[in-house]
Amino acid sequence: MHGPSITFEDVSLDLGNTSVLSGINFGIRAGEIHCVVGANGGGKTSLIRSMLGQMPHKGNISIEWHDNRTIGYVPQSLDFDKTLPVRVIDFIGMTCQRRPVFTGISSAKRGVVDSVLERVGMAGKKNSMLGSLSGGERQRVLFAQAMIPEPSLLVLDEPMTGLDPDGKAIIEAAIVEFTTAGGTAVWINHDIAQVYEIAQAMTYIDREILLDGNPREVLTTGVASQLFPSLDLLGSATRDAS
Amino acid sequence: MAAIYEFLRQFIIGLANDGIIHYTFSYAFVANAFVCALFIGPLLGGIGTMVVIKRMAFFSQAIGNAALTGVAIGVVIGEDYTAPYASMFSFCILFALFLNFTKNRTKMSSDTLIGVFLSISLAIGATTLLWVSARVNTHILDTVMFGSILTVNDTDMSVLLVTSLITAAVALPLYNRMLLASLNPSLAHVRGINVHLLEYVFVLLITILTVACVKIVGAVLVEALLLIPAAASRNLNRGIRGFVAWSVIFSTASCVIGIWAPMRFDLPIPSGGAIILTAAMIFLATMIIRMALPRYREASV
Repeated sequence: MHGPSITFEDVSLDLGNTSVLSGINFGIRAGEIHCVVGANGGGKTSLIRSMLGQMPHKGNISIEWHDNRTIGYVPQSLDFDKTLPVRVIDFIGMTCQRRPVFTGISSAKRGVVDSVLERVGMAGKKNSMLGSLSGGERQRVLFAQAMIPEPSLLVLDEPMTGLDPDGKAIIEAAIVEFTTAGGTAVWINHDIAQVYEIAQAMTYIDREILLDGNPREVLTTGVASQLFPSLDLLGSATRDAS
Repeated sequence: MAAIYEFLRQFIIGLANDGIIHYTFSYAFVANAFVCALFIGPLLGGIGTMVVIKRMAFFSQAIGNAALTGVAIGVVIGEDYTAPYASMFSFCILFALFLNFTKNRTKMSSDTLIGVFLSISLAIGATTLLWVSARVNTHILDTVMFGSILTVNDTDMSVLLVTSLITAAVALPLYNRMLLASLNPSLAHVRGINVHLLEYVFVLLITILTVACVKIVGAVLVEALLLIPAAASRNLNRGIRGFVAWSVIFSTASCVIGIWAPMRFDLPIPSGGAIILTAAMIFLATMIIRMALPRYREASV
């Protein structure tokens, strides 16, 4: 697998009279975990949605694809009526096959669907109603659908929300494995210790870029200590690592 | 096409004459209505599941009301007032497209905007119908509003058949995409789905289906047949397969029983009313089952 590289050139976004993003210039290298960090309302999701072509942004976002152009997208949440009669397997089916999902999962997809659900620890709940799952379980299912068909670019909007430690470990391991195999991951992440630990690059956004680079370098700057008052957490992570 | 309808009619009449089904089906107009019920029952049941998931129940009500205006326009421009399909389809399609366009532009919530358009369509429909009522037999208006199997002819059957085929041919391959687009438009977009286009397609499907069913179910009640069987099915099912299957069964059963029962028991009620009352009884039964069985127990607040 060969993930794409992505370049943001002078990207800005105005919604109504509000400037959401301004003067965004940075690059995402192929095969890396690139975390997008920032305060609530700082424009992280808008940046990602601009990249996905869902926002009326200005400037240029170019994605240098190779053979596989599949994007696996894990949205922030699934906002839907919790009483809808949609099972986990129905949801996965509707994302990955054309055959109407009420006729069942096609035999061609059954193997990969089962293995992906197994991977995120949801195989035992594939017949549960989507609305009856906990927030963390739903995040696991959202991650599972992003892996079918095999993507070369993973875009994750706070995938760890509501996840228990086991769930976090499973998703983190899957993302690391994905990028180790050559895929590119763009990941909105609030856990700065985790960013420090596993990301090869990070960008801090609060309407504009405040930090950009390797977390192990940029998080030791004075700006970083102002942005993250709880950098002692990071210190413990550093000590653990050493 | 006439030969096919005649074959179907004779087949049903033959079954009735042989005593296999009730003798009322030996009347040609009942056989016509029965064939129509077999077209629209499964289709309304299937599409109804999507209407429920997309929370568009009131949209078809607005289209039903717009059909009243379509009829009035048909009378004004001199169409056959028992089947003014050109006016009904044209006006309802324009109405539906304008509603969806406005929804996309204003980003207003669906129920608010559909509520506005529903009122507008009812006001225009009622005004124009009253205006033209002097020109036509007022029983025609009853037929349009509440349905009548007595007036179903080969043209109505052709309209239903073609509409059913178009709807099935478009909706089946797009079912998953429409479903995903309603659950998470952003995810659907990343999956290569044109969310706005699909919305227009779905709106058009509901519109042509609603107009085609006006003769059988009536403009006022067609929305209920899109909604009630699916709602009844939702009471009992936890997965899409059961949801769609039971919605189709409930809808088809409602249509067939609603056409047969008034004939069988000499009830002076229109077919639309009978169909919806049947569907309503099924809904009540599923409600009772849901309340009675522990497997459906859930949080009270």
